[in-house]
Amino acid sequence: MSYVQIEHMSKTFHGQHVLKQLDLAIEKGELVTLLGPSGCGKSTLLRILSGLTAPDTGKIYIDGKDVTDVSPKNREIGMVFQSYALFPNLTVSQNIAFGLEMNKVPKADIRLRVQEMIELVGLAGKEQNYPRELSGGQQQRVALARSLVTRPKVLLLDEPLSALDAQIRKNLQKQLRTIQRELNMTTVLVTHDQEEAMAVSDRIYIMNGGRIVQHGSPHEIYTQPHSEFVARFIGNYNVLSAEQLNQIAPNLSMREAAGRFAIRPETFREQPVTEGDICLTGKIAHVSMLGNVTRYELNIGDVSVLVDTLHMSFESEQTGTTKTLYLCPKDVIPLYDTIA
Amino acid sequence: MLYLFLPVAATVLYSLATEWNSTVLPEGLTLKWFAELYGDPRFLQAFGRSFVLSFLTTVVAVVIIVPAVFSIVVYAPRMEKLVQLFVMLTYAVPGVIMAVGLIRTYSGNGIPMIVITAGAYLVGLLPYLYQGTRNSLLALHARSLMEAAELLGASRWQAFVRIIVPNIMSGIFVSALLSFSILFGEFVLINILVGGRYETLQLYLYNKLSASGHVASAITVTYFVLMAIITSLIVRFTRRSFARKEVS
Repeated sequence: MSYVQIEHMSKTFHGQHVLKQLDLAIEKGELVTLLGPSGCGKSTLLRILSGLTAPDTGKIYIDGKDVTDVSPKNREIGMVFQSYALFPNLTVSQNIAFGLEMNKVPKADIRLRVQEMIELVGLAGKEQNYPRELSGGQQQRVALARSLVTRPKVLLLDEPLSALDAQIRKNLQKQLRTIQRELNMTTVLVTHDQEEAMAVSDRIYIMNGGRIVQHGSPHEIYTQPHSEFVARFIGNYNVLSAEQLNQIAPNLSMREAAGRFAIRPETFREQPVTEGDICLTGKIAHVSMLGNVTRYELNIGDVSVLVDTLHMSFESEQTGTTKTLYLCPKDVIPLYDTIA
Repeated sequence: MLYLFLPVAATVLYSLATEWNSTVLPEGLTLKWFAELYGDPRFLQAFGRSFVLSFLTTVVAVVIIVPAVFSIVVYAPRMEKLVQLFVMLTYAVPGVIMAVGLIRTYSGNGIPMIVITAGAYLVGLLPYLYQGTRNSLLALHARSLMEAAELLGASRWQAFVRIIVPNIMSGIFVSALLSFSILFGEFVLINILVGGRYETLQLYLYNKLSASGHVASAITVTYFVLMAIITSLIVRFTRRSFARKEVS
């Protein structure tokens, strides 16, 4: 049995199925991300894990123990909320100490452990500040310290970085991952940001419509999407029907009898790499500069595909010019179901 | 403004006037009406009664209503519409009709009418305390704070006392002051239900109106001063909680 195990979890809100017979397993020390669009059930699943919401059916095991009916206060779970939920009337150290006081830890230990946490999250010197006197990033770190100080078995993070600026978010992602590894903390992160999920996770569970539609390492998820939903959600995949694929690459004979095919925009190359590479020629319909990447919309016959190339030269191609590109057949990924 | 303040100014002046009958301005100024008023044990008693009745009712109302509103807003938000309807109903019943209804329902069953009056006051305070408490709780995101505290090992009671109450205290205080001042000035219910058996400041004022205009003015001025103190406290606490929100 895995360290955290969820079996046949279902939840209905006002007649609407939010979670449908969901199973999930997390190993000790792993950082697992629940990734999906708004309303896919990921936050509900997190709340069920924390005990704040009761499931309709299903079981939750943590460290081999059935905790389905255990109250949140006795579940030994730490949680960082999207809004941080810091206590406005308490200082940074009092916020962090709160959980230890509630668990009747001796005062001398509390002081020591709070200090340790403050140093771990880099908030030394801010001990006596109130939450309102801190920046968003600092508040987020207090929330993290507060949930880690009680040494929970599992740490739950509910979109903890979504309210922060891009730069601070990237720094905190790194910091979060470092701390999680340092403490070997089993962590579940909920996010709708695929980049964030890719950057920090050991494994990603992609959710849609109350179900897990695919799970695997960030690399697996990105390079081998199983469905059109995952291909579209995880990146800017080109999703083509069999006819469209046949139109742009008539010589390509796919063995799989899939209905649709996915091609990553960055797999198109300007030069052939292997002998079997398919040659495609089309007209540039649109060019957008995305910093280090230039994105072309290329019309090949009636089919339009997105092509990403590294922004190497000083001159970019003009709209209307003809461009020839090469595609390796193994980069054409068959998809076995339509959008969910 | 003139329309509003002219009678107030006239009342203040009248309470300080020696004689003011046939002249444009008072003939002389004196503090004797105040001395007479404050020297009257009946006034002090009436003031004390008003204070005790308003204060105790407000305290009991806060103790009962605040946790109730908290439970509804945080744990049963779907019931809020129904509660709001009940809260509005208290406005819908005019004082005289309420008094008659209360007399018909409760008189003769042994409960002192003053207790019945206090009970009616308590219900009457519901809109003020409900709105004040609700706004404070919503601004605080009380639900997330409760959940965070519970996940950290606190019981609901501990979370309520240690986290929620300190944060909504200034909001409750403002609502309580408002409630107190409303009760302090209440006349209709107490006059019909209790009358002379428990003479409050308003009843004393009513009785004094026919006896001496100067003393009645002195009572009014005393009442205004008390209300001004309460209002300034309300303003101070409201500003403080606004300032706190702005910083955050």
